[in-house]
Amino acid sequence: MYGDLGSKLVLEAKRAQQLNRSSGAEQLPMFQDELIRNIIKEVGQLSKSAEYLTAQQEETGFQDKVARCQYFVTLLCIERNKRCLLAYQKLRSDALDTFTWNRNGIDPISSLNAAHQGSANLSHHEQEYLKEYAQLVTDMKSGDYTDIDLSGSLTPPSDVFIDVRVLKDAGEIQTEYGVFNLIKDSQFFVRQADVERLIQQGYLQKL
Amino acid sequence: MSYYDIDDILADASKFPCRFNYDIPGLGYLEGNAGKEIRKNAKVELPLWLARILAIVGGDAGLNDEDALPFVELMQPEMFSPKVLNAIKSGPVTLDVHSINSHFYALAIKWATLFNDRDLIEVLNYMLLERCQEINNHASSVQLENVGRGGSQGTFMLTLDEFEKVLYKDSHESCKDTKKWVIRK
Repeated sequence: MYGDLGSKLVLEAKRAQQLNRSSGAEQLPMFQDELIRNIIKEVGQLSKSAEYLTAQQEETGFQDKVARCQYFVTLLCIERNKRCLLAYQKLRSDALDTFTWNRNGIDPISSLNAAHQGSANLSHHEQEYLKEYAQLVTDMKSGDYTDIDLSGSLTPPSDVFIDVRVLKDAGEIQTEYGVFNLIKDSQFFVRQADVERLIQQGYLQKL
Repeated sequence: MSYYDIDDILADASKFPCRFNYDIPGLGYLEGNAGKEIRKNAKVELPLWLARILAIVGGDAGLNDEDALPFVELMQPEMFSPKVLNAIKSGPVTLDVHSINSHFYALAIKWATLFNDRDLIEVLNYMLLERCQEINNHASSVQLENVGRGGSQGTFMLTLDEFEKVLYKDSHESCKDTKKWVIRK
């Protein structure tokens, strides 16, 4: 009956939620294009029948219980479908927001390309949304709060200096204390604040 | 239980047995045969999101007493039958809640709210308290070798419902993180 497709979509959302929680990495499964189109088609049918019911009521002129019940059921089905669609989309956009904050400093779209097999998992609108949200975050950081790196690590700093190991070549980087040449498998004793960003991006590993 | 809560939406999709109080043409698809009418006193399994509203709204209360009946009448589902409630009372810890319904708590709360069912709430309170102690035992027994890997999988874990799983996962995470922090000190 109506609403079953919505449940299927929400089950899909639940699976994505669990995937996110268990692996920790920001991963979004494929956007359920087909399923969503079917749900929207169903809503279209429902609204057509709702219109039909209203027209019929105006014709016969009296509002009896039967017509009201039919109308109610139709509306409730539409509402249910709406809730399923919105919950699915909300989950995905929440994941995208987290992604933007965690991977900041790098262009989110390109880092998404690196993390997945391309941003093909996102719908066209989601890509647009991701881009605009990243812009918002950048605007906020370059506004009144330039002194603080808002997208920086949330773990409180415990040491000023740390040992790091280079996981992949990053070339030369400039720090307050001079230039490091980051060659794979070399080890450095550096100021934590200098390399935080590189740890986030996965070039360095904290020891 | 927000509007966007995935578990709440899934719980709302569980079917409950209902009886129609009126003849209503055109609603046959609820029963599985589209295009037909639905008969008075027909028993239909409706999802909660539909049944909840239809059990409240109905005829005009003003006309006469007969017409004040709501569209459908919710009937006692299997999961809240005396059999299940007795099983809960006798031993909440050994009860396989997941096999009764994977959203047992959420549905029980909805049901009790709908009917103002004090007895059900009392049973639930007792059940939650008893099972929480067991959940806490499982969640706080973090083996050091297993930190990093997944939690222990006992038979008790398989009987948890969705709400309890969240409870377990959260408390397990918090115990694990605390332990990790203490060791690395």
